[in-house]
Amino acid sequence: MVKFSHVTRKYGNTVAVKDLNLKIAGNEFVVLIGPSGCGKTTTLKMVNRLINPTSGTIEVMGKNIQDLNPVTLRREIGYVIQQVGLFPNMTIAENIGVVPHLLGWDKNKSRKRAAALLTMVGMDPETYMDRYPTELSGGQQQRIGVLRALAADPPLILMDEPFGALDPITRETLQDEFKRLQTELHKTIIFVTHDIDEALKLADRIVIMRAGEVVQDATPEELLRHPADDFVAAFLGKDRLSNQELQVAQVMLENPVKAYPEMGMAEGLALMKRKKVDTVLITDHGGRFLGSVSVDEVNAKHRSFNTLGEIVDQDTPAIEKTAAAKDAFNRINEEKLPYLPVIDEKGLLVGIVTRNNMVNALASVVWGDHNGSS
Amino acid sequence: MIIMGPVEWLFDFWQFLEFYSDSVINATVRHLTLSFGAILAGIFVAVPLGILIANRAKLARVFLSITSIVQTIPTLAFLALVLPLLGVGVLPALVVLFLYSLLPILRNTYTGIRNIDAAYLEAGLGMGMNSRQLLFMVKLPLALPVIIAGIRLSTVYIISWATLSALIGAGGLGDLILTGIQTYDLNFILAGTIPTAVLALLAGSLINRLELSLTPRGLRTQG
Amino acid sequence: MEKIILLTLEHLGLSTIGVLFGIAVGLPLGIMITRRRKLAGLVVGTTEMLQTIPSLAMLALLMMWLGLGNSTLIIALFLYSLLPIVRNTYTGLVNVDTGLIEAGRGMGMTRLQVLRLVQLPLALPVILAGIRVALITAIGVATIGTLIGAGGLGELIWLGMKNIETSKGVNMLFSGAIPAALLAIACELGLERLEKALTPRGLRVSPESMKN
Repeated sequence: MVKFSHVTRKYGNTVAVKDLNLKIAGNEFVVLIGPSGCGKTTTLKMVNRLINPTSGTIEVMGKNIQDLNPVTLRREIGYVIQQVGLFPNMTIAENIGVVPHLLGWDKNKSRKRAAALLTMVGMDPETYMDRYPTELSGGQQQRIGVLRALAADPPLILMDEPFGALDPITRETLQDEFKRLQTELHKTIIFVTHDIDEALKLADRIVIMRAGEVVQDATPEELLRHPADDFVAAFLGKDRLSNQELQVAQVMLENPVKAYPEMGMAEGLALMKRKKVDTVLITDHGGRFLGSVSVDEVNAKHRSFNTLGEIVDQDTPAIEKTAAAKDAFNRINEEKLPYLPVIDEKGLLVGIVTRNNMVNALASVVWGDHNGSS
Repeated sequence: MIIMGPVEWLFDFWQFLEFYSDSVINATVRHLTLSFGAILAGIFVAVPLGILIANRAKLARVFLSITSIVQTIPTLAFLALVLPLLGVGVLPALVVLFLYSLLPILRNTYTGIRNIDAAYLEAGLGMGMNSRQLLFMVKLPLALPVIIAGIRLSTVYIISWATLSALIGAGGLGDLILTGIQTYDLNFILAGTIPTAVLALLAGSLINRLELSLTPRGLRTQG
Repeated sequence: MEKIILLTLEHLGLSTIGVLFGIAVGLPLGIMITRRRKLAGLVVGTTEMLQTIPSLAMLALLMMWLGLGNSTLIIALFLYSLLPIVRNTYTGLVNVDTGLIEAGRGMGMTRLQVLRLVQLPLALPVILAGIRVALITAIGVATIGTLIGAGGLGELIWLGMKNIETSKGVNMLFSGAIPAALLAIACELGLERLEKALTPRGLRVSPESMKN
């Protein structure tokens, strides 16, 4: 589908991409990854000629792209960027219909196509077709960004850190959704990211780059088992290598019962009753984990305090989502904790591990059931 | 000025207007012709020029600094400087007002297009728009509110400055004010001032409306 | 020649005095309305309205009220300089990052100290831009001051225009118009340079000028 032969791209004296040779087969999901400045984005943008190589040739579907009109070429390749770039002056349907419009489809056909695509990602066409991008959430906007690339059904799609600007939870949702889409659509996808978790999750093949050169080109499985050198090993992260069994993120429950600190005592009590829990986790409006409040605390203190924020236990222990599940299990056992909130590297609350779901998760590992995994 | 009560004065002013209604109307028409002639010419030159220089930083610096220098020249001095070239009357006034109208329109077209988020341009290019399609489907719609704001600013100022064209015999509402100054007559001054102010206000709010109806709905929520 | 220089100096003097009055009133006014946001709309709106009165009309109206002469012109210049100075002072101060103001307060500065040590230095380039616009406007308006008996280069231009058929008239016209144009351009460029020089070095990415 795509073939790089001895491709080099220089900017003045700096070499962004150096003598790159890469073949990407049809229906393959290839992730280009590496630290910033490694040449992954340059590589991607050379495929639709947003950047031209200094030397070497690139073939797409058997044709040397230097011989093609860049405008025509681009209409045959889907393109998704990190900043989404939905045109704010166009409705959702019009945005999805940009490439069909450029290709001269009639309006009816492209609206039908937009409706079909929206349905595919579970967005009601009636509701969303005629809205404007600013009326959607960030996650919804990037869904449309992906649909826009799919509109004219191109066999090849380029994605430049498409989920990089989203919050962690939305990002995971979109990754899952996109993975599902890919199993139905069988596109060839070149995907740039700097997030190794994302790469491992989505890719058929991962190409790790450094300083304009490919360091390793392998399946996720091979990569984890046999990292080519220390750079790759470091990039994959120690935890992942030493501890391939289970991470907290894989056993935790998402969507724990949570509240903002301004919530009143009575309201907090009602919330716990409704959700049948004896503790509620407190986060600020940015999602940062602040602590917990138990039903006993509320009962004991509701006379002298007004809001949950005033009685929050800030010393509530928490665990990072990338930590080993084993650690969470040990802490729950040894410190006699009823549960452990799970936070990400930014301190945002992303889930909870309880005694109960820990047991379930272990059971599923032992007996091969898939409850409780992410 | 003769001292009199406000009611008497209003009556007096009314009688004055009745008597001079033809000159006031003629002056207003001339004033509008001058202003809008200059603005229209300004739009036709400055908008395409702004589009042209948006991609050319050096050229942009040259044109923007020329127009902003032009803008600083005192109106009367400017009118005087073109007199020996173009003579007295409507033509030199039109030329000077046209030159003054350029800067706000040019600058706003330029910044309007420059300030478009690069993501939109990359998305448009990446989807296979050619440069004309990128201009008409993305750049102009997104820059339109800013361009119109420039046109509004220009219009309001030009209507005000057009009063000075009376000084080189081009007529307009400034004529009435000038007569008022020379004869020390408040009626004449007001008969020139009030219509000018009304014209400027009307033109400003009209363009505001136009701007609102031309702004794509998706951009309005952003303000 | 000597007369031209004298008239040019007079022209600059009249314009500067008008703008100085504008600073004396506009700067405190601009600072004040950052504390009373409700007043801000009213004050800026009023000065904006003043600005849209055509200069010829403004001079004519003031002449009817105050008579002929330099002081009438100076009052007109003062009124015209209010808008750019008030507005730029206001927006300059308001646009100072609230984080910085909070930091200042957090370090124990009084409100006056925050104003003097944080807000004003950061807003200075914007305020100066306002003063520049005011001065350019003043130089322009001052050229027509001659119609209400004020001094300055307008006199030469006006007399020249009246006698445009004679070569003496044309000479006179040029000897007024050219210095007036050069004076305005020189002030524009000079003050622009001053703004750049006075911009704190850490802020040299200069905001889009507030001129219009």
